[in-house]
Amino acid sequence: MSELAIRRGAAPALAVEGLCYAYPHASTRALEDVSLEVAPGEFVLLAGRSASGKSTLLKAACGLVPHFHGGEIEGEVRVADLDAVATGPGELAAAVGYLAQDPETQVVSTTVAAEIELSLEMRGDAPTDRARAVEEVALALAIPHLLDRATDTLSGGELQRVALAAALVTRPRLILLDEPTSQLDPVAGDELIWLLRRLNEEWGVAVLLAEHRLERCLAAADRAVAMGAGTVGFDGAPADFLAWAREHDHALTTPAARLFSLADIDPLPIGVRDAKQALRGTGVAHPPHQASRRVHDPRPTEPVMSAKGLWVELDQGEETKDVLRGIDLQLRPGECVALMGRNGAGKSTFLRTAAGLHEPAAGKIAVDSIALLTQNPGDYLVRERVGDELPGEQGLAALRTVGLEHAIDADPRDLSGGERQRLALAIALAGRMEGEQPPGVVALDEPTRGMDRARKEDLVALIERLAGSVDFLSHSETKSTRGTAVVVATHDVEFASEFAERVVLLGDGVVIADGPMAEILSGGWYFATEVARVLDLPGVVTPEQGAAALRGEAG
Amino acid sequence: MRSPFAYMPRRRPLQLASPGAAVAYLGAIVAVAFLYLNPLVLVAAGVAATSAGLLAGARSAVRAGLRLGLSLALLMVVVNALVNSRGETVIARLGDWPLLGRVDVTLEAIVAGASYGLVAVASIVAFAVYSACVDPDRVLRALRPLAGRSALTATLVSRLVPVAAADAGRLRDAAALRGPGAAAVGKAPLVRRLLAGSLDRAVDVAATLELRGYSLDRPRARNRRARSRYDRRFYAAAAVVLATAIAGKLLGADDFQTYPSIEIGLGPATIAVAAVVLLSGLAPLRHGPKSRIANADGPNSPTWRDKSSRRQRGGDGSSRRREVAGV
Repeated sequence: MSELAIRRGAAPALAVEGLCYAYPHASTRALEDVSLEVAPGEFVLLAGRSASGKSTLLKAACGLVPHFHGGEIEGEVRVADLDAVATGPGELAAAVGYLAQDPETQVVSTTVAAEIELSLEMRGDAPTDRARAVEEVALALAIPHLLDRATDTLSGGELQRVALAAALVTRPRLILLDEPTSQLDPVAGDELIWLLRRLNEEWGVAVLLAEHRLERCLAAADRAVAMGAGTVGFDGAPADFLAWAREHDHALTTPAARLFSLADIDPLPIGVRDAKQALRGTGVAHPPHQASRRVHDPRPTEPVMSAKGLWVELDQGEETKDVLRGIDLQLRPGECVALMGRNGAGKSTFLRTAAGLHEPAAGKIAVDSIALLTQNPGDYLVRERVGDELPGEQGLAALRTVGLEHAIDADPRDLSGGERQRLALAIALAGRMEGEQPPGVVALDEPTRGMDRARKEDLVALIERLAGSVDFLSHSETKSTRGTAVVVATHDVEFASEFAERVVLLGDGVVIADGPMAEILSGGWYFATEVARVLDLPGVVTPEQGAAALRGEAG
Repeated sequence: MRSPFAYMPRRRPLQLASPGAAVAYLGAIVAVAFLYLNPLVLVAAGVAATSAGLLAGARSAVRAGLRLGLSLALLMVVVNALVNSRGETVIARLGDWPLLGRVDVTLEAIVAGASYGLVAVASIVAFAVYSACVDPDRVLRALRPLAGRSALTATLVSRLVPVAAADAGRLRDAAALRGPGAAAVGKAPLVRRLLAGSLDRAVDVAATLELRGYSLDRPRARNRRARSRYDRRFYAAAAVVLATAIAGKLLGADDFQTYPSIEIGLGPATIAVAAVVLLSGLAPLRHGPKSRIANADGPNSPTWRDKSSRRQRGGDGSSRRREVAGV
């Protein structure tokens, strides 16, 4: 079939019928009797918990399953009327583009222009056609200024756009995206979703988007499909999906939907605009915003971390850059702090400097004792038995702290993603604890990447347990007043609203806001929770707070 | 952190030149370093490579190359001084050493070692400049029609090397962040972890290549010949350097002897070769800003003062469209 025919065809962009698939050597099937159709120009959201089969379905739709991964497959997958089971991913590239979670591994060329052009060159397109296609896709994705850049100098958001451009340059009928916003800050994440919507509307590209942060993209979708244990649990309109999720899987609901559920308002809203329209006339007041201000911690205890006039300069190849510019920040025992800001704002650099990985260029930072878990917990795991990673009584104490003492004989590779993360944290904690007491500061760098809501709730519980040692110790014989300050660098505003009592917002290496979580996360557009954007009430950020406000105001 | 040797696109003559011209130019400097042992010519080759890199904006690569080359040169001097006792001027008698026997350090052995060290410095700096200034994608494209599978392997390797370097950096950081109560990370587990991670990465990269159509049997698209107005300059510099070096070699310009006593030839032929090699280091020189661009593309070329149009069009006067198609 010619590429023009593929582009213009009226066949479904994707048609899956009775698809069953098992990875090689797997005891259970990753997909079980999946049937699904995506119409040309449709925007479909694929929801589901971790390991529910979303990524496998996307890989089957682009031909990587079974052609690249192997395994046993039954059923039919047709992409723009091409048989994806019989046709390889290279042939399917004219009809389907695929964007995976980690943009780092999706870039194979040195420069952006070469990366975007590669598929066309492999297809045998003439140089003039390639040049035009590259220019057009670059304009569509607003990246012409990046064309001459080296790919290893791009930020995560830029890299994600370049990978999207490389997937779109062949003008496919269907684009598959596997959690493309998981590594992006709220601004870049929102930009990507609306970019997809625009491509969908203007170019007619069908979109199949797998995502955990549903509040970000449900409003942009025409349809939602929920997967669980390798099967399709729901397939229908976004509003119906929320009603289904309320009944069947609470972890798949959005904060705005939870707000409406708690306040007994129907129907559930699919986004902020929908929610605002539904609430119009309910008597909820919309007071003007108050400017955020620094808070002075009333607790008399000494800080466990104190940065004063902290400047950090990093070598970036040909030049050095001031990544932190005069940071003043103190953390008190037992505080839970969310460190937020755009990609490149300096969050990770601050944590790494506190942990001693970078030297300050000016100013100083004093830390009692710190355990830092970086963005890739797998980097901490180098042995094949949990007990070998953490020998002795100190190791056991660290395992008890994260609730993994039962797994001492397990192979780290057999643990779940959340357990591996907790094991890595135990490795960072071991030897830095006084008995069962964690160190002065526990720092986590982007711990929720790729996590579903259920796993985030487990993490919130762990953070509360770590920070709550003040209460725990106050009942002990020692009557110690020490507690652990937990500081988490995160892009996830909803997660921050669940664990943090204070939010520090960084922008280009300086602290631009520092205050109580409820104040900071209800006072902006991007760094605000969905409930805060719906209600626009100062200090109201969680569904529970919002529902209470609605009941009070409306009542 | 970026490797100092990583390619960085810049609008400088050496980067804008076709890979063939850049390789010919830098290869000529390396050829001189391997053809000659005369210190004057070798110093000229080293300075030429250094100045080429600096003019191309590859300061970090030059610095790293010099550091690496000088360390290697020092090692060569020390090893040669210890293992080679030839020469008339003994400057230290170190007695009998296990394995080495009697060790007399001579000035001649030190100079001979330094001469080999200069070869290493000039070659390493030239390779560093090549690595930082010549786009590997363009080199691989040039190779692809000749050896498709080798080009695929090279593509995978060229992509995996920086990724593996970044992984190694992350693993080092994680090892440093382990609590004192956790098991120490030995080298073997770390290397095993790095290798396992690299295999995972290789699978991801291979999947991306598969999606980009690398496995298609279709005839590869013809690439328009990569042209740049700087090509002629670099080919000419390479030809002059090579011709002078070969002629000089035949005329005895490489007059240099270390044993039994040091004799360094500084005749007119040697000085001429050194001068030509030295001057070749200026080949990547970029012309300063002018009120009107030299007429590369015709009378309607934009002015250099027009910054936005300069960005839209290539720094060498070619339009982006042509450049995208041409590389």
